[in-house]
Amino acid sequence: MTHLLETAAHPRTLRRIAIEPITRVEGHGKVTLLLDEQNRVHQARLHIVEFRGFEKFIQGRPFWEVPVLVQRLCGICPVSHHLAAGKAVDMLVGARQLTPTAEKLRRLMHKGQLLQSHALHFFHLASPDLLFGFDSEPERRNVIGVIGEHPDLAVRGVKLRKYGQEVIRAVAGKRIHGSACIPGGMNKALTIEERDTLRRDITQCIRWSQEAVRTCRDVLEASVHAPIFGVFPSNFLSLVRNDGALDFYDGGLRALDAQGATIFDHVDYTRYNRYIHEEVKSWSYMKFPFIINLGDEDGWYRVGPLARMNTCDFLDTVFAEHERQLFRQAANGGMQHATLAYHWARLIEMLHAAEGIERLLDDPDIIGTDLVVKGERALEGVGVIEAPRGTLFHHYKVDENDVVVRANLIVSTTNNNQAMNEAVRTVAASYLDGQKLTEGLLNHIEVAVRAFDPCLSCATHALGRMPLQVELVNCEGQVIDRLVKGADGACTPEARAP
Amino acid sequence: MSPDSKKTFRLDGREIPFREGQTVFDAAMAAGVYIPHLCHNPDFEPHSSCRLCTVIVNGRPFASCTQPAVAGQDVRSDTPELNEMRRDLTDMLLVEGNHYCPACEKSGSCRLQATAYALGLQDSHFPQLFPHRDVDASHPDIILDRDRCILCGLCVRISRSVDKKNVFTMTGRGIATTIVVDSPSGLLADSKVSRDDEAVQHCPVGALMMKGEAFKVPIGQRPYDRAPINEDSVARFRAREAALHG
Amino acid sequence: MASKRKIATCSLAGCFGCHMSLLDIDERLLELLELADFDRSPINDIKAIHGVVDIGLIEGGVCNVENVHLLHHFRDHCRILVAVGECAMTGGIPSMRNHHSLKSCLEESYIRGVGVENAHIPDDPELPLLLNKVYPLHEVVRVDYYVPGCPPSADALWHVLSALVTGRDPHLPPALLKYD
Repeated sequence: MTHLLETAAHPRTLRRIAIEPITRVEGHGKVTLLLDEQNRVHQARLHIVEFRGFEKFIQGRPFWEVPVLVQRLCGICPVSHHLAAGKAVDMLVGARQLTPTAEKLRRLMHKGQLLQSHALHFFHLASPDLLFGFDSEPERRNVIGVIGEHPDLAVRGVKLRKYGQEVIRAVAGKRIHGSACIPGGMNKALTIEERDTLRRDITQCIRWSQEAVRTCRDVLEASVHAPIFGVFPSNFLSLVRNDGALDFYDGGLRALDAQGATIFDHVDYTRYNRYIHEEVKSWSYMKFPFIINLGDEDGWYRVGPLARMNTCDFLDTVFAEHERQLFRQAANGGMQHATLAYHWARLIEMLHAAEGIERLLDDPDIIGTDLVVKGERALEGVGVIEAPRGTLFHHYKVDENDVVVRANLIVSTTNNNQAMNEAVRTVAASYLDGQKLTEGLLNHIEVAVRAFDPCLSCATHALGRMPLQVELVNCEGQVIDRLVKGADGACTPEARAP
Repeated sequence: MSPDSKKTFRLDGREIPFREGQTVFDAAMAAGVYIPHLCHNPDFEPHSSCRLCTVIVNGRPFASCTQPAVAGQDVRSDTPELNEMRRDLTDMLLVEGNHYCPACEKSGSCRLQATAYALGLQDSHFPQLFPHRDVDASHPDIILDRDRCILCGLCVRISRSVDKKNVFTMTGRGIATTIVVDSPSGLLADSKVSRDDEAVQHCPVGALMMKGEAFKVPIGQRPYDRAPINEDSVARFRAREAALHG
Repeated sequence: MASKRKIATCSLAGCFGCHMSLLDIDERLLELLELADFDRSPINDIKAIHGVVDIGLIEGGVCNVENVHLLHHFRDHCRILVAVGECAMTGGIPSMRNHHSLKSCLEESYIRGVGVENAHIPDDPELPLLLNKVYPLHEVVRVDYYVPGCPPSADALWHVLSALVTGRDPHLPPALLKYD
């Protein structure tokens, strides 16, 4: 099976292909493949080359700085880190229950983020593959190509993202890296004018989101790839509310196996460390989380939109719940395992977020002014939320002087680490194995990685002027041939003296 | 009006009235002309250490915060050369400390940041030094973050002359200068400082802060979101002048 | 029609917030595409600059060897190089690791970390060598212009870009100059 592709028996005798940087994802990563002379794939890996050391350098900083500081982990979903850290800091000041207004403002900001992040991913990053084909011409296969050929769709994407960003700006003062969460609550009430401005366009956003779900469903139904591309079984993890509804802001941890059987349910997320550990592998700076009692071989899981549509019992908004039911019916009521179904699930969530924004804007609490509560100080806090890309864990310990002494962060994309590697291997095995490699085939690998909407945000990775190259290495480890993908996407053989 | 008020000097071609004993800086600000400054706070004795308020008086440079106004002087302040020097000084202060504006609770109310804005500092010329400096969070109400200290000496002066406690002083030389606390352990918790001290209210940057106040003022409503420091300083100065001298 | 300007973008040790802020110009993106073409950028599949581009935008500081290579690649192929955002300009939040040894940062994540198994520091040749410190761009190459902010607002980026594509001075008006 595909997990055999994790390690090659004789790596030095094989050809190495590197896809780097993976484009149209947020952040940087690279994929390497090791092939033999018949182009059989022996090893396929997604490497995360990022290392920033947040866990270390926030030590010694006062805890109230943390929500604003750690959101700099990510410019795509800074609100996620701001909120997860905000919830952890609430625990430090003993704010067990926020005021209704503060909690609703946080949820509003979070839904704004879901809307903008999911719109960005579908319209700006992923749609070119789905609309034009995985192996279409690379110069057309981007958002500018979409603007040229599907201008209405592209403009909707831009406007949906803009709306989500404006929701965030209204709550946090800035679209990216604002400040909203303070220990025990929020720093700003929403004015009636701000609320009314946001209300004006929400109906339109809901309608566009509905149409986007439909477009995506149609594209996937028409796709020859969708039922077979990167399909593999896995466990799934997310937060759910007490009644089993999907909840992005709060809830208990639920893990289901590949058949939908419960591994654990309604687990208090502050005890996450008794359920999830992380394995270090030498070839990636991103750790590999797994469910402890299943072990590192079998305990890995998927998070994010696909996982959430599989784990939750229902969505508490009307249109999105209807779409979720269609989604589950497509898998005959069972668990949906197709990688490309991530896109469908993501747009259902976008619709759910838009409906949720409308409901919150209609709620009188949203313009309340009672924003902060305080309680008894604690020295440890855990905050967990469902970020656009999946479950996000923040965990801090502080000393009596209010400075951070320990921190542990498991970001959403890290939770998908093993699954993304699995998708790369599955696609490599079924599409690339034994084939003469082309740019289009290599893009299949990127399509699989992109489906997870990974946020690899950080250190880039491009080897000088040759970002994509295939090298033929002989048994002594010397490069005897090399294929280079140029800036125009064309592959040319390049001889190199041994 | 006293007869004194008829005395004037010329600042960038404009006649500035002054009272006897007034400094060039005070007279200029009272007349509505902003001179960039960091270590000076008109409520306390001037120190002339940051040199941002340097002006050219009759062809020679002086710190305007300590330079007495003299009738008939020719003073230049808003010149390309002086503004370039002010930008360089500000840039140097930024690279000599650890000023992480993005995550700093003082952002938006920080005089160093606001002064850099007023000077139009949009580039960076010097290597970042990334010095190792200690945070003192030992006190229950007050935190001293030396990363952000610009050695303006305001806390030293105010603790000595207003609070009469002498809690702070400077130690070391040149680039190694740091602020230290007078207590057996060297920590704020063991010093005489208290939350009501004037010394902890006037730090122009985020070095000396009250705990528990962070990020309470939302973006868009912070002092220098509302008005740039040049307008804000002049307005405050004039209000102070009006209150003191009518 | 005058030939369009070419723009290339990349992120080094940044968070992509500056790229997101560029997308925050919203509908003006269509206007920008009238004036300029995008060469290498994370938003398309062009993985290296082909020939020479007019404007290179770089977000993020320099934290590993391959950041250095990519930065030189941009300097060699861009007529105008712009450092976008606090990280590119000063090192930014990631440079807070400069106050600790690289070893202690790696140990905190991969050895001492909560719930870490198979504890060791990743060391595969595929991982780029980390620099002992995070550096701002101008300490590695010559930089022509800077746009401060974390991230710079969409309006600030729009101001600078529209100035550069039409050959004007990209100095920010006071209302758009922010470091946070």
